[in-house]
Amino acid sequence: MELSGSVAAESLPSTSLVMVSAINKRFGGVRALRDVDLQVRAGEVHALLGENGAGKSTLIKILSGVHSLDSGTIEIAGIPVEFDSPAKSREAGIAVVYQDLSLVESLSVADNLLLGREPRTAFGFVRKRALMVRAEAFLKELGIPLDTRATVGSLPFAYRQMTEIAKALMGEVRLLILDEPTSSLTSDEVRILFDAIGKATRRGVGVIYVTHRLNEVFEISQRVTVLRDGANAGTFITAETDMKRLVNAIVGSDRSVLTGSRTEPAVKRELDPSPVLSLSNVSNDRLRAVDLSVRKGEIHGLAGLIGSGRTEILETVFGLRPLESGAIEIEGRRWLPAGPADAIEQGVALVPEDRHVQGLVLDHSIERNVTLPRIPHFSRWGWMQQRAAARRAESAVARLSVKAQGASSLVRTLSGGNQQKVVFGKWNDPRPRVLLLDEPTVGVDVGAREEIYAVIRNAARDGSGVLVVSSDLVELIELCDRISVIVNGRVARTLVRGEIDDAEELHHLLQIYQASGLSTSQELSA
Amino acid sequence: MTELTAPNVVASSTRSDRRRRIVQNLLRGERPYMLYIAFVILLVVFSLSSPWFLSVDNFLNIGRQTTLVSIIAVGMTFIIIARQIDLSVASTLALSGMAAALAMSQINNSWIVGAVAGLGTGALVGLINGILTTQLSIPSFLVTLGSLSMARGLAMMVTNTKPVIITNETYFAIFGEGTFLGVPVPIAWTLAAMIVGILLLHYNVFGRRIYAVGGNPTAALYSGINTKRITTAAFVLTGTLAGLAALVLSARSHAARPDVVQGMELDVIAAVILGGCSLFGGRGYILGTLFGSLIIGTLNNGLVLLGVSSPMQLVIKGAIIVAAVAFTKR
Repeated sequence: MELSGSVAAESLPSTSLVMVSAINKRFGGVRALRDVDLQVRAGEVHALLGENGAGKSTLIKILSGVHSLDSGTIEIAGIPVEFDSPAKSREAGIAVVYQDLSLVESLSVADNLLLGREPRTAFGFVRKRALMVRAEAFLKELGIPLDTRATVGSLPFAYRQMTEIAKALMGEVRLLILDEPTSSLTSDEVRILFDAIGKATRRGVGVIYVTHRLNEVFEISQRVTVLRDGANAGTFITAETDMKRLVNAIVGSDRSVLTGSRTEPAVKRELDPSPVLSLSNVSNDRLRAVDLSVRKGEIHGLAGLIGSGRTEILETVFGLRPLESGAIEIEGRRWLPAGPADAIEQGVALVPEDRHVQGLVLDHSIERNVTLPRIPHFSRWGWMQQRAAARRAESAVARLSVKAQGASSLVRTLSGGNQQKVVFGKWNDPRPRVLLLDEPTVGVDVGAREEIYAVIRNAARDGSGVLVVSSDLVELIELCDRISVIVNGRVARTLVRGEIDDAEELHHLLQIYQASGLSTSQELSA
Repeated sequence: MTELTAPNVVASSTRSDRRRRIVQNLLRGERPYMLYIAFVILLVVFSLSSPWFLSVDNFLNIGRQTTLVSIIAVGMTFIIIARQIDLSVASTLALSGMAAALAMSQINNSWIVGAVAGLGTGALVGLINGILTTQLSIPSFLVTLGSLSMARGLAMMVTNTKPVIITNETYFAIFGEGTFLGVPVPIAWTLAAMIVGILLLHYNVFGRRIYAVGGNPTAALYSGINTKRITTAAFVLTGTLAGLAALVLSARSHAARPDVVQGMELDVIAAVILGGCSLFGGRGYILGTLFGSLIIGTLNNGLVLLGVSSPMQLVIKGAIIVAAVAFTKR
């Protein structure tokens, strides 16, 4: 990482840019924040950690003027401030980049950057060229590699996020708040993002960085504050703490913590050698002769950059993408997926990448969601057997320990981790022969993540073949028996557990293959 | 803070929770309780201000007047829950009526032929609407805006805008003027459509899928649901019900006319939205729709009895619809 911690630390002024003292906030009977303190210095990246519901979002919403505070004070550069609207907070120099982006997809990057403050002629018309020039100059200064003319809707997700951050830095910004900015970025895109953050801090901007990914905390932040149950659970200097101490602060010392493979020795399991799913020479518009097999009880990872074809492999097996040539076999029998319904009939299940868009009907109950893929199983002659459906949903809630009042709770009211468990619940019973997982723990907090890992391991132990796509290389190494590296729509290499047990190593490998893959694709186009 | 609102929305067995839930439902229009209250208020106001309002005859009158809207609104409920819209229903009704009357006049003067022709024409228009919407991915607003015009044009073309007289007495009795168990048949048909709608939407596999398709089409697709087929089926259902409404109307007036019920699609949509359906899909109840259309019918009837001028009736009706939706939306 080019952004060296020590350089940034030297240039830190000792006074606080933002000082939050003894903030309290109630929602009805619930105390969302209790005497919370937070100090952010100019030029500092201050990580903010905590499980979902720990109070991070509430704190951010208070700083951004969305919520008012019940008691406590906020000072910016020593001057007390009060925000009764987001506009006031923005005026005071606080900019927030939310997970849900606030860009107009049909406009260009430049239009978005200067939205609402376009350079105008005397008659109120937009000066298009001046707008482009200003946007370009600004991006150049920040060193963000974006094409100002590109339509935002056509950009990959990481670049939209970059646009969002650039937009936030357009005005007079003193404090930049990033809410889980990397949850859907690949590791290379994370580098680009970190560079951009580094450039902002060098200009003296303070950054609050909310994340669930602890390794990022060590990479980018100078200090860390942990919230638990709405109260401070400690502030640490990053260089003087370690992963274990942070996890303990996040979940509380009274809860036993599974931190995964580091503490739990990786069990070498004897795998059934017969493949439950095999792809040979599978090709279509995004895949080029993919050869892959998943054995009964195996967890098989797919590593690669966004756009490498990882997700497309899952989509092809699930019948969402046509197979142009090659063959798919399920338990040795050749099968041509006709569509999701056909795939489900064959015992193939997919936990998709975006649970809000692809996985769940948010305004419906857990029961409705869980029974969705198997409606015919809960009906006779076309009529719903409501009681069977309700029983099935209750049992899924219990088995996956979804934290909800019952199966009739609306999915929208659940936390990210519990929503993801509901998506798993759709495919829990009967056990799928092939379980396809796309980024199974995105936006899921530390505790729920371990529970989801347990669900995945159980599925494999019960005999499902699991194929999992993840941008989190630590996760892949922790979970998988084998990992296939996907580059430009083909399998570049398959690693067996033990060959690589370090995410950094895997990341280097990905980059090497990506570089060589790029050269072959250039040859092809030439 | 989504986590914090969770306990309020959830079903629970304690009494205070249940009470709170009902109050919340009243306010948010989750179930159309507010609508029932609005309906009762409307009844009270009209009863107090007009001596003719509160009578069995007048209520049967309201029932008869709302028949067409209510029957079609059952289908429209499915369509709106599935995130679609059908603007063509009034034209479909006109075309189906013409088809029924012409078929009877050509083939044996048989009421069965008429019924099949009427329902079949409605179903066919619905099928075309559904296929164009799902296969060509044209928004249903545009597809049905087109078929609104085309179906009306066809209805007028077949006889060069002349009405077709119907003479079959059995047809009148079954669809227009008879009674079934003491209930006038138009009202009986409305109740039948409602019951079928309730069964299909709330107790059948089809209803589950309609809700899922409207609640989140992508998630429905990823759960193995054939979203195109389900959406098309909703259009076919609505077209068929428009055909049924055509039979009722033509049997009552002893003729089919190509220029009937122009603009009725708006009353149908208003009834469904008043009934608590979300225009964004995934939410709605047949019973709500029934009350929605009863409110519109009662308004029409009550305002006439009060001697309100017809332009003023339009203004009041529109204002009440907007106010009711503003009040019941979440």
